[in-house]
Amino acid sequence: MNKKRILSVLLCATMATSIFAGCTQKQNQSPNNNGEKPSVNLTMWGQEQDQQMLQGMIDDFEKEYSKYADIKVELGVQSDAKARDRILTDQEAAADVFSFPSDRIQDLASAGALQSIDDMSPVLEQYAGKTVDDVKKANIEGSVEAATYDNTLYAFPMTADNGYFLYYDKNVISEDEVKSWDTLLSAAEKSGKKVGMILASGWYNASFFYSAGFTTSQNKDGTTNIDWNGTADYSGVEVTQSMLKIASNPGFMPIADGDMSNQIASGKLCAAISGTWDANAAQTAFGDGFAATKLPSFKIGDKDVQQKAVVGYKMIGVNAHSKNAGWAALLADFITNEDQQKARFEIRQIGPSNKKVLEDPMISENITASAVVEQSKFGVRQDVGNNFWAPTKTFGEIVAKGQLKADDTAGIQKALDTMVEGVKAPIE
Amino acid sequence: MKTVTNKFSNIFDSIMSGLSKYKEAIVKGDLFVKLSFLWMGAGYFRRKQYIKSLIITLFEIAVLVFTFTFAIQYVPKFGTLGTVKQESVFNPITMQKEFNNYDNSFQILLFSLVSFIVWAIFLVVYIRNIYRQYQLQLDEQNGKAPEKFKDYMNKFLNSKFHITLLALPVLGISLFIIIPLIAMIFVAFTNYDQKHMPPTELFTWVGFNNFVQLFGGGGITSTFGYAFVRVLIWTLVWAVFATFTTYIGGILLASLINNKRVKLKKMWRTLFVITIAVPQFVSLLLVKNFFADGGIVNTICANIGLIDWLRDIGMINTTYIPFLTSPGWAHVMVILINIWVGVPYQMLIATGVLMNLPNDQIESARMDGANSFQIFRHITMPYVLFITGPALVTDFVRNINNFNVIFLLTNNTYTTSNQALANSQAKEIDLLVTWLFTLTRDNYNYKMAAVIGIVVFVISAVCTLVVFKRLTSGDKEGAYR
Repeated sequence: MNKKRILSVLLCATMATSIFAGCTQKQNQSPNNNGEKPSVNLTMWGQEQDQQMLQGMIDDFEKEYSKYADIKVELGVQSDAKARDRILTDQEAAADVFSFPSDRIQDLASAGALQSIDDMSPVLEQYAGKTVDDVKKANIEGSVEAATYDNTLYAFPMTADNGYFLYYDKNVISEDEVKSWDTLLSAAEKSGKKVGMILASGWYNASFFYSAGFTTSQNKDGTTNIDWNGTADYSGVEVTQSMLKIASNPGFMPIADGDMSNQIASGKLCAAISGTWDANAAQTAFGDGFAATKLPSFKIGDKDVQQKAVVGYKMIGVNAHSKNAGWAALLADFITNEDQQKARFEIRQIGPSNKKVLEDPMISENITASAVVEQSKFGVRQDVGNNFWAPTKTFGEIVAKGQLKADDTAGIQKALDTMVEGVKAPIE
Repeated sequence: MKTVTNKFSNIFDSIMSGLSKYKEAIVKGDLFVKLSFLWMGAGYFRRKQYIKSLIITLFEIAVLVFTFTFAIQYVPKFGTLGTVKQESVFNPITMQKEFNNYDNSFQILLFSLVSFIVWAIFLVVYIRNIYRQYQLQLDEQNGKAPEKFKDYMNKFLNSKFHITLLALPVLGISLFIIIPLIAMIFVAFTNYDQKHMPPTELFTWVGFNNFVQLFGGGGITSTFGYAFVRVLIWTLVWAVFATFTTYIGGILLASLINNKRVKLKKMWRTLFVITIAVPQFVSLLLVKNFFADGGIVNTICANIGLIDWLRDIGMINTTYIPFLTSPGWAHVMVILINIWVGVPYQMLIATGVLMNLPNDQIESARMDGANSFQIFRHITMPYVLFITGPALVTDFVRNINNFNVIFLLTNNTYTTSNQALANSQAKEIDLLVTWLFTLTRDNYNYKMAAVIGIVVFVISAVCTLVVFKRLTSGDKEGAYR
């Protein structure tokens, strides 16, 4: 009997101590109100490849604000793509300041993970000498819209190059031929090479539907509004028929999501639809023929329609659970201001969202950056919920595999209906 | 069945006898036994066992402190899992955010659970303690000297050494397995999902709603039930094939290497074991690249004209063989690749067993004119099966949950073209656990993931029990002794 007792004593004691140990961490530092400089500790997450650049920005920030406070910023590694997952796993343990792509803003804001930047206006006025409106005016409209949820600004816009456009080899395809899918594909077929595009992804294949006037939007409960089985400027069936026509062209090659870099590197392609992340791969593969431009136009019925692209932005958010939210907001503002966006482009060729930086001649001299700017005139901000991805991915796969026949309008309609049903499904 | 009822009545009897002992202790105990209802160390104190008295008193105080400083914050809210939503205001003067005293549903759930466990342990200790005090009283009346503390502690190094040894593992299992497991089971009965994510939002109990939804009660998506059945069927098919192919493959390979005519036995074995030494995810990612749509195997197949031939006979309509990207092909491929990954393990086990194969049986069979196949079929195989039966069961359960092979081979590259499955975030190639992973990772659907987790657990448990029972039933045991 005693043995069990000791055992349980041990068990309980460990439990109790471990629990109490947890409690002690909750002690609050009382804010420093006696006129001395407060000391502030902040944490920030950034991408691995940006660490060195970010550390430089942090050093500048600490110096800039050293007259107000002793700020120490600790930089952690976190990929933007997975930032949402890590933040939502434990919001209170997430960094005070973090970057994330625009398609995550609704998840983060509705989960209450983001600090409203509008609330930070007095802080920005007092310390940074600008208002929230100044921030909004300094960046392009799309990027500010992307950082806004429920009429509140939730993040500082940072980049505007998170979209796709057309890379091509100008030794194979002429500047005129890249203007439409028809000429592009026939030029590719003649050369024996292919035009590559990812169809099995709602991020890419939505571009055909957006071009035809269709839209998507997200409701507050995380569900998606979608009408692709209906009619906008053209009907969803017509758009699908155009997609099928492109996909079945011998000059076209559907590429699996995530396989684009490999395919470009393989040398089989003479043109590819991708984004800045594949710039190096394309440059290596196309050599001196490396060129980039906006997406071509495609035919719906017999009308030519310019293909739009989904444009994404990256932004810096402040953790709503951050204790030093004010200083965190100043840091977020600092690393997204004009100078730092310029530095981003100079160091890492990251396309800015700041209007003044975009006007800088170094942008128009850069092949990919100018293609981004060109495409952004035909850019759509994609606002969709989580249930959007799997059904649209499968729809793209069906098109890519040619499992639908272009003359089977009933079959196409049914596939569109099923996809729309899946996308609209309530989030449970 | 009889043994089960017996077991139950045994437990029942021991509870009853425990209670009657307890009753006896209450009625016949002296003042200090009765005092130990309040002060657990009273009896020990009276019998001059001061150290034990101190320890048990400290334990009692610790539990009391735990209850009134910690548990009291959470347990009263366990019924609702919290009612106060988080609110905050920013104070521009201090530059800090001020939060209200909000409830965190998950903390309430988890810490209430911890409290319950602490109390359950306390209750057991408490009841046993009273009984123990009464025992001490009886010992004293019979003139037996009370045990010295040093002797008592020495027991833990001698006759009760197993307790000392097991203390840490038991503690570890409770902390890292039992508590999370029960917490997960609790989550299955709540609405913990993307819309109810602490600390910003609260979640609460919903009873059996999630289970009703899973089994076709409407809700989530109209195809969820369909997807569940499809995924479940493939999970079971996969588990059966993955288990038996590697098992039989391993035995065949082991007997091959064991054969007298094979030279360099040790080298062959080492070669196969090396494949184990390479981490599974490395080899699987390599294999995934080999068999990718534009991978090296496809290039070879194209060069030797295999792809054209397959297109001619209508097996494929793509310019590549969709080894890991289309249903059917992918299903076969993952099983084949799993053989390649899993056979060396089974070979090692089978080698050990084959080396201990009773030679007399084989000799006599050979004298009776049995050929090698007959020997394999009637002596080797049943013997190996008997020895490794339990391992086979664990393998089966492991394969039901074989996340690595499926996920590493098909993640990000396999795209379903079945719209009904896609609408429920599933793919033809998904096992229950990989589907569960998608549901939780991409959609934060913790509650449904918990429900599926419970279902997987039940399936695994039932399979294990049934197969174990059959494999280790009495008569078979006799046959190979």
